[in-house]
Amino acid sequence: MKKGRWGRLVTCSRLAIGLFLAFETTLIAAPRRIVLLEVDGLNQDLLESAMKRIDPATGKSQLPWLSHIFGENGTVFENFYTRGISLSAPSWALLVTGEHSVIRGNVEYDRYTGQVYDYLNFFPFYLGYARQKRVDMPGVEVLDRAGIPLLMDRFPPAETLQSFQLFQRGVRWGTLKDALARRFSAESIVSMVESGDAPSYDSVLAKATEADLERGLENPEIFYLDFFTGDLDHEAHATSDPQALVSVLRGVDALAGRLWHAIQQSSLSRETLFVMVSDHGMNNTPGVISQTFSLPDLLNSPPGGSHHVVTNRHQMSDFKLKGLDPMVRRVISPSATSFYLADQASRYPTAWLDIDGNERAAVHLRNNDLNKLHILLLALQRADLDARTRRAAAVAVREIIERHRAAWSTTISDMTAELDLPSKPPAAGDLRQRQELSDREAERSAYHGYLAHLEALLRFQPDEQHPLKEKIASLIPEMSLGDNNSAADLEHYVVGPAAAGLAVDAAGRLDEERSFRFVDYPALLVKQRVRNVPQRALDSRPVDFVAMRLPDQAEEHVYELYGDADRRLLIRTDAANRIALAPARGGWRSGLPLHLFEDPRLDLPAGTDRAGWLSAWHNEREWLEATHRCRYSDGVIGIVEDLSPVENNVPGRPGIAPVALRYEKRRRALVQADFHVFAADHWNFNVRFPNPGGNHGSFLRISTHSVWMMAGAGLPARRIVEPYDSLNFAPTLLHLLGRPAPAGRVVSLSLNSQ
Amino acid sequence: MHALARILGVLVVCSMGMAAELDAPWPQTPIVHENRPPAYYWKAEPAGKSAQLLTLFCGSCGAASDTPGGLPLLAVLRDTLGDENGGNDRVTYVWLLSYSRPTLGQRLLSAVPFFYWHVGQGSSNVGKRDIKPFFNLRAPRHPVLTQVGRDILQYTTLDPMMMPVRATSRAYRTNQLNHERLHLEEAISYLRQAPSSNARSELSSVEVNTVIARLELRKKLLGGLVSERHATKFGEESGFEQERNRSRNWELLRNSAERTGLVFEPVALGGTTDQYAVLWLSAGPTGGQTERSSVDLSSTWKLLGIKDPWREANRTGQDRIPLAIYSLNYPNQPLLLVDFRDKSRTRRHELTQRTINEVTSGIIGISHFANWYYYVAADLYDFVASRHGRAMNQAERLDCYSQFRVSLALDRDLDPQLRKELQQRVSSLSLNPLETATAHELESSRRRYSLLEAEAQRPDGWLAQRLDNERRAELASIGRTGKSKFFAGALHAASLGFYTRRAPRAEGNLAKLDSYRRMEYDLNFLEGLVNAGTPPEIVYQPARIQAAVTELTSLLPGVSSGPTRARAQRTLYSLRDLSQDVSLRADCSFALASMERPFGGTHVAAAAAEIVSEDRP
Repeated sequence: MKKGRWGRLVTCSRLAIGLFLAFETTLIAAPRRIVLLEVDGLNQDLLESAMKRIDPATGKSQLPWLSHIFGENGTVFENFYTRGISLSAPSWALLVTGEHSVIRGNVEYDRYTGQVYDYLNFFPFYLGYARQKRVDMPGVEVLDRAGIPLLMDRFPPAETLQSFQLFQRGVRWGTLKDALARRFSAESIVSMVESGDAPSYDSVLAKATEADLERGLENPEIFYLDFFTGDLDHEAHATSDPQALVSVLRGVDALAGRLWHAIQQSSLSRETLFVMVSDHGMNNTPGVISQTFSLPDLLNSPPGGSHHVVTNRHQMSDFKLKGLDPMVRRVISPSATSFYLADQASRYPTAWLDIDGNERAAVHLRNNDLNKLHILLLALQRADLDARTRRAAAVAVREIIERHRAAWSTTISDMTAELDLPSKPPAAGDLRQRQELSDREAERSAYHGYLAHLEALLRFQPDEQHPLKEKIASLIPEMSLGDNNSAADLEHYVVGPAAAGLAVDAAGRLDEERSFRFVDYPALLVKQRVRNVPQRALDSRPVDFVAMRLPDQAEEHVYELYGDADRRLLIRTDAANRIALAPARGGWRSGLPLHLFEDPRLDLPAGTDRAGWLSAWHNEREWLEATHRCRYSDGVIGIVEDLSPVENNVPGRPGIAPVALRYEKRRRALVQADFHVFAADHWNFNVRFPNPGGNHGSFLRISTHSVWMMAGAGLPARRIVEPYDSLNFAPTLLHLLGRPAPAGRVVSLSLNSQ
Repeated sequence: MHALARILGVLVVCSMGMAAELDAPWPQTPIVHENRPPAYYWKAEPAGKSAQLLTLFCGSCGAASDTPGGLPLLAVLRDTLGDENGGNDRVTYVWLLSYSRPTLGQRLLSAVPFFYWHVGQGSSNVGKRDIKPFFNLRAPRHPVLTQVGRDILQYTTLDPMMMPVRATSRAYRTNQLNHERLHLEEAISYLRQAPSSNARSELSSVEVNTVIARLELRKKLLGGLVSERHATKFGEESGFEQERNRSRNWELLRNSAERTGLVFEPVALGGTTDQYAVLWLSAGPTGGQTERSSVDLSSTWKLLGIKDPWREANRTGQDRIPLAIYSLNYPNQPLLLVDFRDKSRTRRHELTQRTINEVTSGIIGISHFANWYYYVAADLYDFVASRHGRAMNQAERLDCYSQFRVSLALDRDLDPQLRKELQQRVSSLSLNPLETATAHELESSRRRYSLLEAEAQRPDGWLAQRLDNERRAELASIGRTGKSKFFAGALHAASLGFYTRRAPRAEGNLAKLDSYRRMEYDLNFLEGLVNAGTPPEIVYQPARIQAAVTELTSLLPGVSSGPTRARAQRTLYSLRDLSQDVSLRADCSFALASMERPFGGTHVAAAAAEIVSEDRP
């Protein structure tokens, strides 16, 4: 009896302990801390193939740590895509905010003032930071002004540890100093002799940052940590050699292993979510060299309009002393054949390019009517102009101004109101606020300068009988493009006076068709052919298509993808954000831009009429599911994300006054390009130096297919095949961390305990 | 003094004149009839009972196409210790079979300042001296010490002497270094084409990378000091770097051709692909150059290194005019090798730079130490010039030249007439009296190979003797500290190679060496895992790690060297701490126990069992 009672007690105790242990093993603490490994330019397919391949020397995966952490024990998104343009600055902006894009290029230009937003150049930021002039990288400043917080902003600053990256808040001088000390340490010198090569500053900086991160992991008060690496992006641009790429990936793998090991050693190991993400893919194909097509050369040339061209970097910068200038942000390539602006390149560059995008270029052209005015004013300046032509030109000037009077007057009144809003004085010692105030002052002055020119134009009464007395510079703003061009303008764009000069018709009016030289830019670009194409994998046509926004129709936004005169595709979006496609002419057929109609990977229910489905309205989810395996993956959504009115994506800071919000929206709207040029497969537009490896920027699946993998904190081993894009990333992380996240963007993931 | 100056002047003028003489009408023939990569393969044969001679052949190269059996290019000796275990193998020697030792006459001429020709074909006799290894991979430090010693001798003793001594010694030394570099690059070129596998009949990719790295590092003053561990990585990285350069230059040249209205054509030469390219001028009054005048192309022409052909009137009646051939291997930009319109251009460039160097350091005696500002200014000039598209790195140019001459000699797809002409151009680039014609060198490679093959068969021959010496030197270095090894190296250099510290001849040397090498192999492997700082079983199959630990355990009792035992102990401790694999931890514990209580048998087993039980959860 005694024994039986004792036995029951033991059994009960065992049961209790068993239950406790069972509960303990399933009771996984909710994620509290996040460690982000941000890898620039890593394509999911490249990663996946390397993870699957067994290294005969080790008997394990070529990337053993990534396979172990994520492949075997984590959640892998097999179909994760860059939303919008597959470029670093816009892609990271989407990832680290989880909000629709307000940054749409690696460099952006304010059309009114010429201000350059160079998101990739670190040097001016570091210098500005050292001089207490800058606090954040330009991308962060733009997001702050737009009222869009970063993922790390959801944590108090003391709880975060951020590495060096594009969207960086502040500079950790300690890490830089540590890296410098490492670079010139005795250990480094010994290592140099031992290894035959000096370690680069980048590599020692990465080591110093990693050491920082490991220290941060030991601190239970830090809940947000990230590590950014651009090594793979650099290598993949330089070569498509698979061995070289895997060699860099092995470095990333070892880093992931060290971070994972450090996480496991830390006190918050069970509450830490380890995430690896990449911003975009990369068009690396073994054995294929990516070829460059020079848009600046084309735009400099007479067929291209003989523009003076602005870029943010020097062309062939390795072969110029000026190419060493780390502070460079605007470079003007003058045209020697300018039709009417000879020797005025520094004042009137008329084509501004963002070609940092490699497979895509954003092109800003000066407003067509400003060109006409400029040409007519130059003619009116001439004393030898015959009276009839002078009168016709003066009338034409007046008519152009009248056409714009209403719009320019509204711009003047609205912007004046916006610029005259009093600025809040910065809090004492708040460098960020002080910087913003200083930026606002500079903007105010620049915008007022532009508005003054508009006012002068509105006041201007051209003399029909005498040569122009006013200075053209007082009427036509310098280093300014004015308002965006319409699609019709771009197809009939004035690049100079006609060879025979201004022409007057029988009625005494200016005959515009005979007075000006015109260029049809979409047609010009797609008809370009390259002579030197020694590789069979490449087409001699370097341009795939041109994308531009058309005027809205009722409540619909319309975007055009121009393949050539017969291959034009329209993308429409309605007020409910649904999307529909339609060929601009004729019915659905092969060869239209994006090639969806003929793509065998277009995933539609069996028996569905392709043409009917493509022309019908569908929501984004339906489009993504149907197209993500296609050659152009999420191109339809990407075009909408990239060309939709950017101002609609600016929420403004909480409590912002309506006029101030309108100003912030306007500032973003002013950096939108006239049109985007997309390179054909294995072509790129990077004229700074050759990128013979892979490139990105297009909607080709290889360029958009990105990486998102998570492990730890109770996330089960799982492969998710449903497609998602950048907009899902930050909201899902916030949700997992138990923080508020925008509804509709969270990927539902259950933890082991749930 | 005046007479000497006059002679020097005459020599320089003659060089220039000879360069100009090479001008000839533009060739009209197509560059390549057919591009077919030649097959490179290894042939393995035993060298005595405990080594292997591996020879790299080119099956369809140059002269080889006429005779069966392929052309032997390069051989390596793999010291296997007579077993099939790859862990104790060492690649010991490299022979460049096409390498001819300079004759006395060539050596004398190479000491004449401003003498920039190679005279004659070099020696046609191939004797035993010609099968001396080109490079000893087991003693990479020896050339470092020798070179440093020679540099010191030059700076401290020869430079302060009268001008003729300084000038001749410097001329001789420059020619000698260039000659060595030329052949180092030749050997590297062959190895880059070599197949690799883990089969015993070929070199493994790790071995190929290590050999390439050692040869590459030989070009650097302190390259021989690079550790074995880093050498393989260096070899792999240098391959990636070359690939990056090639792709970049390929596109740079194509794009420059596009901008200037020329035609770009990559050329496969001697089994290489994408290493060379030709620019053509296409037909018609403007050819492809339409509407390009809006862009300033001066920097592009500078980069191409040729004159703008569109400005020349005389180009009618020809469909396609070849302008130039470029090497795509030069770092940063394509290197002009042959300018078909100005055939002395490249030679003039080489000659000018070499003459300036000889005048400043040999004649005037400008010193790196006393006149450092001159060299700072010269470096600054080079930097600025290279930023403007000029190829200023003489050593890298020499490498490209070496690759080109070899590719050309091995090629058989090129139009024969054109090949001959190109060979003449390449030959004109040679400024070194020590050099001999590539075709001549390749012709005698077969004879060198026969001699080497015969030598390898002799059990008590010179090669066997030499290998035994190497092994004894290796045995003598076991357990030595870095300082001690350095001192031994210095003694070797100081005695001009006559003295080398070696273990005495003994019966058990081979077994001892086998144990040592296997232990080194295991230790290096385990150290690599430990240095990663993460659980090793994730990166390697635990069975593979356990096998290394087990082997180490069995070998350690025979090790008396304190530093080696300490190293092994450190590694095993770290491995045990890092691993989360229970049986691997147990193996480490067992190994440590056997080290700490070296009284063997049951005691060790008991102690290990104790530790193992502590490890088990």
